[in-house]
Amino acid sequence: MDEIALIKSAQQGDLDAFNTIILHYQDAVFNTALRILGDEDQAQDAAQEAFISAFQSISSFRGGSFKAWIMRTVTNACYDELRRQKRRPTTPLEPETNDGEEIDSPKWLEDKNMTPAQKAEADELEHAIQHCLDALPNEFRTVVVLADIQGMDYSEVATSARVPLGTIKSRLARARLRLRECLRSFEELLPQTFRLNEKSR
Amino acid sequence: MKNFRDIENLSAYLDGQLSESESKRLKARLESDAELDSVLSDLSSARNILKFLPKRKSPKNFTLTRKMVGLKPPMPRTYPLFRLATIFATMLLVFSFSVNALSPYVSFSAPQFTFGFGSGGGGAPAAAEAPATEEAMMFESAPADAAATEAPAEPLPQSTETARTTEETPKPKEAEPETFAQDSAEGSENQVEVTNEAPIPFNWIILFLVISLIGGLSLYIMRQSASSKWK
Repeated sequence: MDEIALIKSAQQGDLDAFNTIILHYQDAVFNTALRILGDEDQAQDAAQEAFISAFQSISSFRGGSFKAWIMRTVTNACYDELRRQKRRPTTPLEPETNDGEEIDSPKWLEDKNMTPAQKAEADELEHAIQHCLDALPNEFRTVVVLADIQGMDYSEVATSARVPLGTIKSRLARARLRLRECLRSFEELLPQTFRLNEKSR
Repeated sequence: MKNFRDIENLSAYLDGQLSESESKRLKARLESDAELDSVLSDLSSARNILKFLPKRKSPKNFTLTRKMVGLKPPMPRTYPLFRLATIFATMLLVFSFSVNALSPYVSFSAPQFTFGFGSGGGGAPAAAEAPATEEAMMFESAPADAAATEAPAEPLPQSTETARTTEETPKPKEAEPETFAQDSAEGSENQVEVTNEAPIPFNWIILFLVISLIGGLSLYIMRQSASSKWK
């Protein structure tokens, strides 16, 4: 994929070129939104909004890392969604069984390669991590998602979050520190290799 | 527990964001400081565990449609010209139609205005000018009369001249009523014509209507063909 050529075409209004870019970035955008918002439906909405907004403002892209630019669009969409939630809080509808009990592991999350026990363990771990991510302030969560989950470097994160490099460094350290503290309460869920150090307590 | 500066440096060290000299210094400290090393491994665990979060595949394609982004089909270059002409012709059509529809009411309610406006204008200025001429004549003759009374013993030629002037003065006065009468008669004829004729000719209205209809139809066809080509 010649990204630069596609971006140039999209800047001239070529929607097909932009859709090719979307197909390349949609998983990263959706995962970022999912980890920042912690809800799949909201993440879908935010991702869709982000792509619409990105197409409408693609003429403002002046080069550099396109991933950082698109991630800035998605983080903005996520912040909008979080502000909306704050104004109008809603209760998420969890999938239920016929008896009215909540399903912890919905069918659409199932991985056929895993045994039920492994699946349950993986789900619990994911919930624990997401719980700790949700406990972080928005700006810390964004930085940690972009740097540690999306694997972006500091300068890309700074572009996406629109904050100086020094702030990224500081936020990331604070976020990791808080994550470490939060994950201690889920120690038994963590795989042996990720067990936190007793000495540092 | 280490101070925040140390933790910040450890976090940056994990990401390879420290300079070479800073890294060396930190490595040396890590070898001698067990607590610092323990914090580093915790930060590393917290960092690495996030990388093991399952990468979800997006549940749907987020590709955009033209409707979603509000894109409109590209129109031919002549489209704005046609649109402008159609709007202008429609406005003129509405204006001329309204003027024609309202003109009888306007002329009946204010006849004196219609009389002085346009065709009937000939009579009014004449009527207005007539008294002024008359006054001017009177002013001219008055000093002559006064001179005659003041100096009756003056030589004869001057008094005869004055007498001639006084004789001549009635002539324009006699002519004026005729002109006024003629003008007012013409004016009343014209007034009748004005009330019967529409201010904007019917042909013009038809022309505006035709332009509006053709323009509207052309715009519709252009839009349809552009959107069908776009699909």
